[in-house]
Amino acid sequence: MTNKFFFRSALISTILSYLLIFVGGLVRVSGSGLGCPDWPKCFGRWIPPTSIEQIPAHIDPAIFNIVLAWIEYGNRMLGVIVGISIVVMTIIAIIYFRKNSKILYSSILSLFLVGANGGLGAIVVSSLLNPFVVSLHMILALFLVSVLSYTTIESYKLTNSNQFTGIHLSSSVSISLIALWILIIVEILLGTGIRTNIELIAIDNPLLSKGELLNALESYKYLHSVLGFSLLFLSAYLSYLFKDDFFGLSKQLVYFIFGMILFQIFLGELMIFFELPQLTRLFHTWGSSWLVGIIIILYNTLHYEQPK
Amino acid sequence: MSSLNKKLVLAFLFIFMFGSFGFYVIDRATKSRINNIGIIGQVPAFSLTNFDGSIVTEKQLNDKISIISFIFTQCDGACPIMSDNMSVLQERFSSSNDIQFFSITTDPEFDTLSVLTDFSSKYSKKNNWFFLRGNIADVVSLSEQGFFLSAALLPVGHSTRFVLVDKDSNIRKYYEGTVESNIYELQSDIVTLLNQE
Repeated sequence: MTNKFFFRSALISTILSYLLIFVGGLVRVSGSGLGCPDWPKCFGRWIPPTSIEQIPAHIDPAIFNIVLAWIEYGNRMLGVIVGISIVVMTIIAIIYFRKNSKILYSSILSLFLVGANGGLGAIVVSSLLNPFVVSLHMILALFLVSVLSYTTIESYKLTNSNQFTGIHLSSSVSISLIALWILIIVEILLGTGIRTNIELIAIDNPLLSKGELLNALESYKYLHSVLGFSLLFLSAYLSYLFKDDFFGLSKQLVYFIFGMILFQIFLGELMIFFELPQLTRLFHTWGSSWLVGIIIILYNTLHYEQPK
Repeated sequence: MSSLNKKLVLAFLFIFMFGSFGFYVIDRATKSRINNIGIIGQVPAFSLTNFDGSIVTEKQLNDKISIISFIFTQCDGACPIMSDNMSVLQERFSSSNDIQFFSITTDPEFDTLSVLTDFSSKYSKKNNWFFLRGNIADVVSLSEQGFFLSAALLPVGHSTRFVLVDKDSNIRKYYEGTVESNIYELQSDIVTLLNQE
């Protein structure tokens, strides 16, 4: 009973965190990060102003844009909801899973990460969206969903002891999966570097088009594409390893990873040819966060499954 | 339906749903940016003298995006920051011929043309920045009635705001000339105006 209850709470935290990454990405691509000039309140209010008369005297009303304010505040509100759901999850973990160190420590770690990232959100605003700080905010969110994915799959295993069969974590599977995860993190860091530098160049060169900004980047931008294609082959190799031995969740996850990497390459090429459309950027970022979590889930389903 | 097809349909619906939502929000944000720089008023007729002795009138505003501020050279509080910020903007938009800058002195008694010339060489790196002086009564009325900016107790009491004026001499928006976040905002609004035309 508590097992199931905890699993649900971990699953909800994870899903909400993924939604939060989507909304956070939306804030970045729509340029709404300074929609609220103060933090944690928005124009001195807990509920953002809906008309210009509600702006307090010490804040310049000229900078008020109701749409941007509500987009930014949506991110903060969802952040609070994620925080509450992780607090609930951690309380359950402390009360009922004190002896299960995997669940206990991963819950506490996720609570720490969500708190730290909320605090970093304040610095994002006070730094006037310094591109490094914004990227760090995103990377911390990736660690959060990684830890939450781990907590979720570990708690799933408590209630579904007989649902996976026939899967063995051989050394080739294990090494390929770990390598894939690390390389995807490297790939994300490269992508984040590209975005950070584009934004830094754009501050000093507001007239450059997106295409010109891309051209202004150093050659490491090609590394992002090259590594992307190599990841496709690595995930194809993994799909091959899982080819006929295994059915069920693990195999589906491997295929999902392969499909997602393919989709990411497609989005990446779209961005190069169509000068970084905002919606494509959003899905490219969000998709990468999915990969990070799914690989962790896959790895831990395998850990559990023993050969027959 | 086979299970693969079912999954593909689900994936399609999922991406479609989130994609539409994302598209809607991004579209609203883009439009709100344009709405946020609505027309506030029209710059009235004026006639002032540039530091090089030439006469500058409201006709100079035609067909260019203008950033206008009120300063005086002896000021040691806000003005140096304002002029530094304007200098940064001039540098960042230096590749465009559609943008110009105006600094109007609120202390014409001290700020003679030669003082303004020295001042301009300190901040301006291109000939698209005008440093203007004129009759103090004209400056006050231009500030108060023309740009709706307070001009009490001059020279010190001048406004620290930058005024964004579009290619049709319409006043579009005000920015605190000493606040970095306002300068970013101004920068992105200039780009919005440029892309619109």
